[in-house]
Amino acid sequence: MARITNGLATSHVPAIGVAMDLGKTDEPYWQPLFAGYDWTRQWLAQTKPDVIILVYNDHASAFDMKIIPTFAIGCGERFKPADEGWGPRPVPDVIGHPELAWHIAQSLILDEFDMTIINEMDVDHGLTVPLSACFGALPEWPAKVIPLAVNVVTYPPPTGNRCWALGEAIARAVASFPEDLNVQVWGTGGMSHQIQGPRAGLINREWDNRFLDGMVGDSDHLRRIPHIEYLRETGSEGIEMVMWLIMRGALGPATRALHRHYHVPASNTAVGHIILEPVT
Amino acid sequence: MMTDIHQYLAELDDIPGTRVYTAARARKGYHLNQFCMSLMKPENRARWKADEAAYLADWPLTDDQRAAVLARDYNRLLDLGGNIYFLAKVFSTDGLSFVQAVSTMTGMSVADYQAMMLAGGRSPQGVRSIREGN
Ligand SMILES: [Fe+2]
Repeated sequence: MARITNGLATSHVPAIGVAMDLGKTDEPYWQPLFAGYDWTRQWLAQTKPDVIILVYNDHASAFDMKIIPTFAIGCGERFKPADEGWGPRPVPDVIGHPELAWHIAQSLILDEFDMTIINEMDVDHGLTVPLSACFGALPEWPAKVIPLAVNVVTYPPPTGNRCWALGEAIARAVASFPEDLNVQVWGTGGMSHQIQGPRAGLINREWDNRFLDGMVGDSDHLRRIPHIEYLRETGSEGIEMVMWLIMRGALGPATRALHRHYHVPASNTAVGHIILEPVT
Repeated sequence: MMTDIHQYLAELDDIPGTRVYTAARARKGYHLNQFCMSLMKPENRARWKADEAAYLADWPLTDDQRAAVLARDYNRLLDLGGNIYFLAKVFSTDGLSFVQAVSTMTGMSVADYQAMMLAGGRSPQGVRSIREGN
């Protein structure tokens, strides 16, 4: 049977992708940020996930204002890096796992999560930057990827509690897939950042670190953080952290942390990264 | 538990210096954001750069929205229903990074804004709530 072995969370700041694509990772500005991913790259090379369910949000790339799906799952064979206005990132195409993706989509709908199914779309920095940061620059991605896109742009996004429950349902769906697969769930976005208005540049190191602390062990209290708290405490774009709760919900009641990293700034953003293992 | 939508929306308007992209803003800014989205295509970017006003004439924007786009007044555009990820298509076409464009909304120079970020960013102290002043 397929099984969820680990969860991983990371910010997906576009500038991280730009720094890698332009070969700037050794510059003093970027070096401390990328140092936090060295452990991850070695760990991923050892643990070799077959499939990554990658929770992210689209930033006006594949979806415009015509259609706004709250939860959408990519069931296609492959997904190309999006042209976000300055040409697509020079990274490999993302190879999907249509069989598992369709299995999850069907299971979720029967489990009362009314998913939007996407057969064709391009994937933006929200999905490709986590792959780049965690795997490095590679000629092809070493795992299949199932994109799971969440609306965190137009209000209201899904509640934290709903995200957690979706994660639990994803875990049930994966557990009923007959093929033996090592599956990881990645939650991306955050941590504190605000990129609009006079309050732009807000960073809340204390809140972010409490949220990272909360991901470890029994994380039940995180489900009840209301949207307004993310917005007030971590900036308008800090709301992306609700997506981490899909990953956390998929890991079950308790976790242990294998690796953790926090760095300010990457462009306008606080970067957080954590790798978790379920405790049974 | 069901959240009271009126209270939810009122709270979103209680954050200093922040325009949360609510349904009301999304409705007001629909064509503005779709115009921004059109700049994802290289051929449209070329047409836009050749004559911005003529390009805008094809879109059903209000006069205020048109003027704010031409002036690159991003705070005004947020008030007129623009969303930052869509507005990013305009400043990316101008060759500006997020830091460069975002700093224009804060009343700080790019250099001062970058220095603030390097020093750990803007503190949430005093800018959490208009009502509470905290
Ligand atoms: Fe994002």
